[in-house]
Amino acid sequence: MNLVELRRYCYHSSPLQLKSQIQHFIAIAVSGAGLCSAVAQGPKPPEKLDLAAFPGEIVEKVVVPVPAEVFAVLDKLDEPNWTQEIQIPEESRLETKDRVKLSLGFGSLVAEGFIAVQAQDVAEIKTIGEQALKLGNSLGLGDAVQAHSLSIVDGAEREDWRRVRAELDRTQATVRETMTKLRDDDLGTLVSLGGWIRGTSALTSLISDNFNQDKSELLNQPSLVEHFIKSIDSMDPLNLKHEDVVQIRTGLVALLVLIQKEDENDAGISAEDVAAMGDICREILELFYFENDEKANEDGGQGATDDE
Amino acid sequence: MKTEGRARLMTSKITFFTDRFRSSRSLRTWGASFLIVGILNSTVFAFLNEALSIAFEIAAPYVEKDKFAVREDNWSGEIPAGESKLIRHQLFRGNEYWFWLGSSFENAKVTVEIFDSEGNPVGVETFAEKNKAGVRLLPPKTAVYFIRITVADANSAKGETLDWGLVYGYR
Repeated sequence: MNLVELRRYCYHSSPLQLKSQIQHFIAIAVSGAGLCSAVAQGPKPPEKLDLAAFPGEIVEKVVVPVPAEVFAVLDKLDEPNWTQEIQIPEESRLETKDRVKLSLGFGSLVAEGFIAVQAQDVAEIKTIGEQALKLGNSLGLGDAVQAHSLSIVDGAEREDWRRVRAELDRTQATVRETMTKLRDDDLGTLVSLGGWIRGTSALTSLISDNFNQDKSELLNQPSLVEHFIKSIDSMDPLNLKHEDVVQIRTGLVALLVLIQKEDENDAGISAEDVAAMGDICREILELFYFENDEKANEDGGQGATDDE
Repeated sequence: MKTEGRARLMTSKITFFTDRFRSSRSLRTWGASFLIVGILNSTVFAFLNEALSIAFEIAAPYVEKDKFAVREDNWSGEIPAGESKLIRHQLFRGNEYWFWLGSSFENAKVTVEIFDSEGNPVGVETFAEKNKAGVRLLPPKTAVYFIRITVADANSAKGETLDWGLVYGYR
């Protein structure tokens, strides 16, 4: 109640009512002031922290942001064409017994789900939910994935996008946790990596569509790239030597160089570098997720020659 | 206090099973078994993470009222009473974030603060009440930030470990 309202409130009152109303107003004002002082008595603002001399432990665990977290910002900056970004691979592309490829593919498929949610495309989300279950089965994690898959499909049918996003996050977390329990930490890392690459690929494409510095700043994630490189370096030798993992590491190093140029120049990631980052992500994804266009053309060309 | 916290960890797990084991006698038997196993085996505590449950509990109203999306991935562990830990985390300018910290020790005093890469505090709103705390921020740039968690307990002996769980949400 402001002073004008108070005056209007008092104007129509008898002296007795007026006294009571003023007492009422004072009580509200006092309680308001008390509330304000209670809020003001909250924790003191911290002083500047000397990070180099921090005496405690630094927690090693790195939480990788989900694509939806970055997409949320992009939605605030523009009206991205999410529908054009959905690129669900053919089921046969993801069929393999190679657990490295399966894990990377699973992570990418979950990221695809986040793109489809942004596009609010019910049919595509249902396809992704079903494919995720198949991949989960191939990884021997069908039981862990099934409930999530059903919930993703159900959430999409009800157009409950918050629920679908939360369920996609849960799916990835469950798969990683299950892999950790099975002492397959490397595969858990690959799930995160596959998701991050697919999310970054979509991000670069949408930024390139309508470039500006505010958007390209979203790609400034050098510590995450470093984390993935470090995680690869500490993998089991068998996984470390896997052809895809070797190529992904090379790609990550190239991404890091492009991102770190921003820090050196303090000018932000340029449109050219965003496109270059997109190409690198695409090449990586063609190892285990997207069709390799060049290879497909070569095979097609070869096939045509054979036919002739 | 530590026993109290750990006993509460057990209780929460027992509560989880109540839907299946409605009989109070079997529940008591389960409870006692869990309590004994829990006291003897510290690995059980990692599985029964009540600190995280409390952190999610703090987050719940922000999800319902303010439409924050809470991440499934999180951080948790144990910490010597009165000490701090630092967590590095990538945040994106344009989003709004809340970090919520909880401990299962009801008498614990927890705080959570957030700093940029130069150590400047960047939280725009905080609260800390016993074993629950939170900090909100609007990242001034897309970068890695440092979250400092501190868990103290006046009743705990020096060096005694307390549990903690940290979750975050964005919108």
